Amino acid sequence: MVRILLRFNEELVPQPVTSQIILEHKVPIAILAAHVNAKGGEILVEVPDGVQDKIVKAFRQRGVTVTVPKLIEVDTEKCFSCGSCVALCPVEAISLDKDSTVKFDKEKCVGSPCSICVDACPARAIKSVKHTNGNSNQPSGK
Amino acid sequence: MSKQGKTRTVEEINEKIRKGDAQVLTAEEMKKLVESSGVGVAFKEVDVVTTGTFGAMCSSGAVVNLGHSDPPIKIEHAWINDVEVCHPGAAVDLFIGATNMSVKQPFEYGGGHVIQDLVAGKEVELKATAYGTDCYPRTQIKTSLTKDDLNQFYLLNFRNCYQRYNCAVNGSDEIIYTYMNKLLPRLRNATYSGAGELNPLMNDPDYETMGMGTRIFLGGAQGYIIGEGTQHSPKNQNGTLMVKGNAKKMSPEFLQGAAFTKYGTSLYVGLGVPIPILNEGLAKKTAIQDGEIFTDVVDYSVPRRDRPKLAQVSYKELKSGSITVGGKKIRVSSLSSLKMAKKVSTTLKSWIEQGEFFLTSPVERLPTDSVFKPMRQTQEIPFVVSVMHPAVTCTENEEIRAIAERIVTKSVNHIVVIDGGGKLRGIVTSWDITRAMAEGKKALADIETRNVITAKPDEPLEIASKRMEQHNISALPVIDIERKVLGIVTSEDVSKLLGRENAW
Ligand code: SF4
Ligand code: SF4
Repeated sequence: MVRILLRFNEELVPQPVTSQIILEHKVPIAILAAHVNAKGGEILVEVPDGVQDKIVKAFRQRGVTVTVPKLIEVDTEKCFSCGSCVALCPVEAISLDKDSTVKFDKEKCVGSPCSICVDACPARAIKSVKHTNGNSNQPSGK
Repeated sequence: MSKQGKTRTVEEINEKIRKGDAQVLTAEEMKKLVESSGVGVAFKEVDVVTTGTFGAMCSSGAVVNLGHSDPPIKIEHAWINDVEVCHPGAAVDLFIGATNMSVKQPFEYGGGHVIQDLVAGKEVELKATAYGTDCYPRTQIKTSLTKDDLNQFYLLNFRNCYQRYNCAVNGSDEIIYTYMNKLLPRLRNATYSGAGELNPLMNDPDYETMGMGTRIFLGGAQGYIIGEGTQHSPKNQNGTLMVKGNAKKMSPEFLQGAAFTKYGTSLYVGLGVPIPILNEGLAKKTAIQDGEIFTDVVDYSVPRRDRPKLAQVSYKELKSGSITVGGKKIRVSSLSSLKMAKKVSTTLKSWIEQGEFFLTSPVERLPTDSVFKPMRQTQEIPFVVSVMHPAVTCTENEEIRAIAERIVTKSVNHIVVIDGGGKLRGIVTSWDITRAMAEGKKALADIETRNVITAKPDEPLEIASKRMEQHNISALPVIDIERKVLGIVTSEDVSKLLGRENAW
């Protein structure tokens, strides 16, 4: 799965853009988070691997601004596995493995729009990375 | 002492270490052995159990001696990498406190990081000023140093290795940042600290083998216990250690500077104590398990010394990742590193096995009867309860005109809106009422403020007063946990009282 962030302006809000694209391309698009009002807004969605390019293009053609939110970056050299971040994560993307090493599941992490764990890291090992544009040469959350 | 091997001495163990045949287990391994084979076998087979902990220990610091400059200086104020360091004694001795923060990067870089950088062999920048004397004429100095340039560089920690610690939650409506790290509102997460069954003091709870002179693992090198730590409170299993060690030999892996958002900086310290299994009793004590170690779940949103305890949980529950408080499941994670605690105990084990580390008997054991007293305060600070007074109230179905009359007859500025059960619904001010009358509004629901900022009766008045300032308001309804209105506190009450109190 690949996460993309869609930004809608005022004119696009009343249009059924997302459902049209789902129907047209026959791909499932999961909505992970949405902040939309009459003036516009943002929706974080998840699309299957491999169709990212097609979907990004389709949204752009309809005037939606598309970005791929980069995941947070964890400096494993700095992390000393204190565990402070684990229980803070709303999607349980952080866990302790058998030898108590803290592991991040980048598939689950919703990335920089969340960032709850970032300021809780005493080693300052977690960085929130800014959005990139939505081309397929971006790492797909792995 | 009987001859049937009912006891063994530290000397005997050291002889075995010298020969390379001492039996050393980590605390983790010892628990498994006792569980599978029993205390008798464990005592017979095991000479030493190694423990470990790796947590943020704010009462840590380092003593350094810089040597004399030419011309010499008697330092009055000094900074290393822009962190103010304390000058406790003669000319060029300094104490780097782990929680002192950089002037340029407060909350991100501090004394703990300076210690880690020095230990790692990095160059640091020293700035110092002085008033100048006939014997120490110099008034300023700026230089760079590494640990090799220092005469002495000793870690000197007043309080380390808490036997166990609270589990922290936040019962308020806002995120708080504490030394127990980030706590989400309404009990959405919990944090705890301590290695539980791996903790040195937990494995020798009567301090039979520990005290002044006990050689330990400290920050990746050999160090010593130099006595009870400050706030040592053995009677309720809250013992602490004061420790010292040569920081020049330590490793940055086991001494890590830390930054806690909106709290400040600290130092994570790796500390492990080898426990000689001198008798069967110690074999039994070192078998203690997480399920037998309990601690309190404490609400850190209450700004008081004695914070409310919401539940008791074991370290087993804490390490499982979730605890239950009042029927609610809360995800919990640790602040101290279990991974590193284990690494401390395995490293110490390998030192002993390789004959690089010998045990010592303490010159004086840790006290088992000290009591940790609260501060004697000669001046009591006022709390909300000391100034609050009954609130003038109304219910939502009353007419605005009736409320306006009440404002006049009672001569107040705020009316608290309550429901039939006395619980807080909203608040209206005389200004809201005046405007409503001018605009011809009739319904209270149109003008009341529903998102009310409140106070609790046992909060320090100063904190309530700050909240009023922050939100630019002049009164706070005082409510209990069930949101029942107990009274009201106004900025006038505050200024009357605090104005008087501050006149020292
Ligand atoms: S950024 Fe959010 S989702 Fe990702 S690991 Fe941190 S807390 Fe979890
Ligand atoms: S809070 Fe930071 S140091 Fe601690 S486990 Fe998470 S990433 Fe590692």
